[in-house]
Amino acid sequence: MTTLASDTGKNVLEYITTLGILAMEGRGFEYPTDTVIAKNGRLYVTNRSRDMGERGVRVTVLDIDSEYYGTFGHYGQGEGQLISPMCAAEDSQGGIYVTDDYTHQITEFDYEGNFVSSWGVRGSGNGELNGPSGIAFDYEDNVYIADTHNNRVQKFTAGGEFIFSFGSKGADEGQLDLPWGITVAPSGDLYVADWGNNRIQQFSADSEFVATYGVSGRGDGEFLRPSGVAVDERGYLYVSDWGNERIQILDTDGAFLQKLRGQATLSKWATNFLEINVEEGEARSKANLEPNTDIFDPEDPHAQSAHIEKLFWAPMSIKLDDSGKVYVTEGNRHRIQVYQRTS
Amino acid sequence: MDQQDIKLMAHLMRRAGFGATRDELGAYAAKGYEATVERLLNPGESWWIGDAMVRRFDHEASGMINHPGSARNWIYRMITSTAPLQEKMTLFWHGMFATGVPKVINGMVLSEQISMFRRLGMGSFNTLLLELAKNPAMIVWLDNQDNHNGAINENWGRELLELFSMGVGSYSEDDIKECARAFTGWTIGNTEYMMVRSQRDSDWPYGRISYHFEYLPDDHDHGEKTFLGEHGNFNGGDVIDILCRQESTARFIARHLYHFFVADEPAVPAWPYTPARDADAIDTLVEAYFDSNYDIKSVLRVLFNSDFFKSEEIWYEKVKSPSEFVVGVLRLTGEFDKPGREMITRFRQMNWMGQEINNPPSVEGWHQGIEWIDTGRMIERINFASEQFGDTTKPGVKAIADKINDSGGKIISPGQMVDRCLDQMGAISVSDETRDVLLKFAVEIGHSTDNIGQMLRLVAATEEYQRA
Repeated sequence: MTTLASDTGKNVLEYITTLGILAMEGRGFEYPTDTVIAKNGRLYVTNRSRDMGERGVRVTVLDIDSEYYGTFGHYGQGEGQLISPMCAAEDSQGGIYVTDDYTHQITEFDYEGNFVSSWGVRGSGNGELNGPSGIAFDYEDNVYIADTHNNRVQKFTAGGEFIFSFGSKGADEGQLDLPWGITVAPSGDLYVADWGNNRIQQFSADSEFVATYGVSGRGDGEFLRPSGVAVDERGYLYVSDWGNERIQILDTDGAFLQKLRGQATLSKWATNFLEINVEEGEARSKANLEPNTDIFDPEDPHAQSAHIEKLFWAPMSIKLDDSGKVYVTEGNRHRIQVYQRTS
Repeated sequence: MDQQDIKLMAHLMRRAGFGATRDELGAYAAKGYEATVERLLNPGESWWIGDAMVRRFDHEASGMINHPGSARNWIYRMITSTAPLQEKMTLFWHGMFATGVPKVINGMVLSEQISMFRRLGMGSFNTLLLELAKNPAMIVWLDNQDNHNGAINENWGRELLELFSMGVGSYSEDDIKECARAFTGWTIGNTEYMMVRSQRDSDWPYGRISYHFEYLPDDHDHGEKTFLGEHGNFNGGDVIDILCRQESTARFIARHLYHFFVADEPAVPAWPYTPARDADAIDTLVEAYFDSNYDIKSVLRVLFNSDFFKSEEIWYEKVKSPSEFVVGVLRLTGEFDKPGREMITRFRQMNWMGQEINNPPSVEGWHQGIEWIDTGRMIERINFASEQFGDTTKPGVKAIADKINDSGGKIISPGQMVDRCLDQMGAISVSDETRDVLLKFAVEIGHSTDNIGQMLRLVAATEEYQRA
């Protein structure tokens, strides 16, 4: 009997809750791409929208209790507007920075969503960007940007002054292929989701190659098109294995620890919707939302996730907070699944 | 290399693909015609990076809440695929088994039907029909979730006979009813919840959930049936076996294939009283259908290697569909090494030309041939191609211009400019009248890289380029 790739391995993470609902405007998400867990206790979620159009693009602000605080960064090319927001990060001063892979700009907002500044121009020279995605601050408030279509990472001051860049297109150590999510580990090292090369690469703070994790595949410890990575104080890697529609956890040496396929439940906002829309809620209560997995191709987790709602579908980013919670932003399910470290 | 070989290869690639660059034509011709046909029939494609690319950069083409997302996903694949015949056959079945968004309000469900056509479209027709009967998009499109034991809904049964296998005139109303009985209990899982969501166009709380097939034995009519003169306790699979054995089915499929790949026929409703354009060709394809035990790939092999297909009399005898036209242009211009926002515009431009993928006008699909053309659509086609080819910064256009420009930097003559443009756009043959117009324009503008772009724009507006 064919079974879904189930949650296996050591019990590093346990599911705790789901946040969000699909909404074209206001409270909710529409094709969310990333989440900032800000020091003010709020979550800032970037939304790309359905048809890359005017209504859905925004940053949604909420907290882990599903309290909603509003939106900002709506569609447009004016100050404080976004076209295709991709990733986001917070600096030490409470600035929320959003990358936009259409305008090739980085835009800073304050906690209230007020525009602070923006920088970035399209190009391939030093300091120029082509489709920026992943963004992460180091402990000196300098910022690394995954310069996706230039197949490199660039380092800037928070104000956008170029410091250095590294990486080039290729599959050798230190080379990159359409890099996506990046993170600065507690050690100060930089980890890059090397999307096209199906691996995570580790670099020192001054861009020296340190290690690579994972090979292409669907097995334990293997990746297909990873979108993001988070690293805890032990050096454990939490990877959003986007092409496999799952999360994987590796230890400091890169050994496989756990994989999770997703176990979302109804968020407060989703529950609220189904209570108000009674006919839909009643029909849902009678439905079997976990049909026999024999009917789905085990080699096609994208299709599996389309059919079984609780599973991760397009895990775009994975973020870790100070209390050991892991936030997985799911583009195609317009929600965030939250897990808790058990150790 | 013999220019006639190149031109025959160009004909094959216009029909079995979306056209080809001049370099590709040269490479195919070097392999030989029959070897190229085999390559087209057996593309051997497995992991395709484009699928990951489109999902990463066009998120609705991954989540597919609505049909434009699923259409963009497919269009990007058509533009970038190394298996063009596989995509053409997918288009063929999408036209013949036309299913669309007005009732299937779920882009992923539509996309999964398209994937099924891609997976099975060059295999056994019997298998394809059986999977079509189980396909959730088709079940909902033709209401088979409402087809119950003791209370049949004939919609699927009727169209299975009329449009998907035998064609009008080969069966009775009783056959339709018996066919419907055989498919009672063939439905989708969680019918009530999915239909409530569909009626409300609900994508809440977490986006759409795709549908899956479910067979309900308790809702199936297990009684004896009489279908096309045969008797038995037929289930749906038995009915499909019987249908595949019918000569009318073979003729209907053969005429569809001829219409799609060889030369334009009148629209399907006219077929019962309009003889086939080439009856011998249809006979040949029917024979291949039965000889191969309904294997579509075998029928296509016979078709592409036949004299009636290679004949110059049928070159440019087909009007390109909007999808063939747009995809063909974009494969030449090389715009989409990565999917961008422009895909939204390209999808809309195709719609304005009269073909909205995953939203056919009815279960009968699109009428082809000259019906693709009216004044407004013609303007859309020409404006689109003109915009694309006029931009000599696009990588494909730049590559064409580089080939046309003399390597020594010399100015080429107007005649050379015309001939090289026609050659580089896919070894296009044009009438003397067309060539005169192109030549006159070339004389007026003279040779430069920008003016090559101007000439490409004019070539794209010719009748020959609008046809396949």
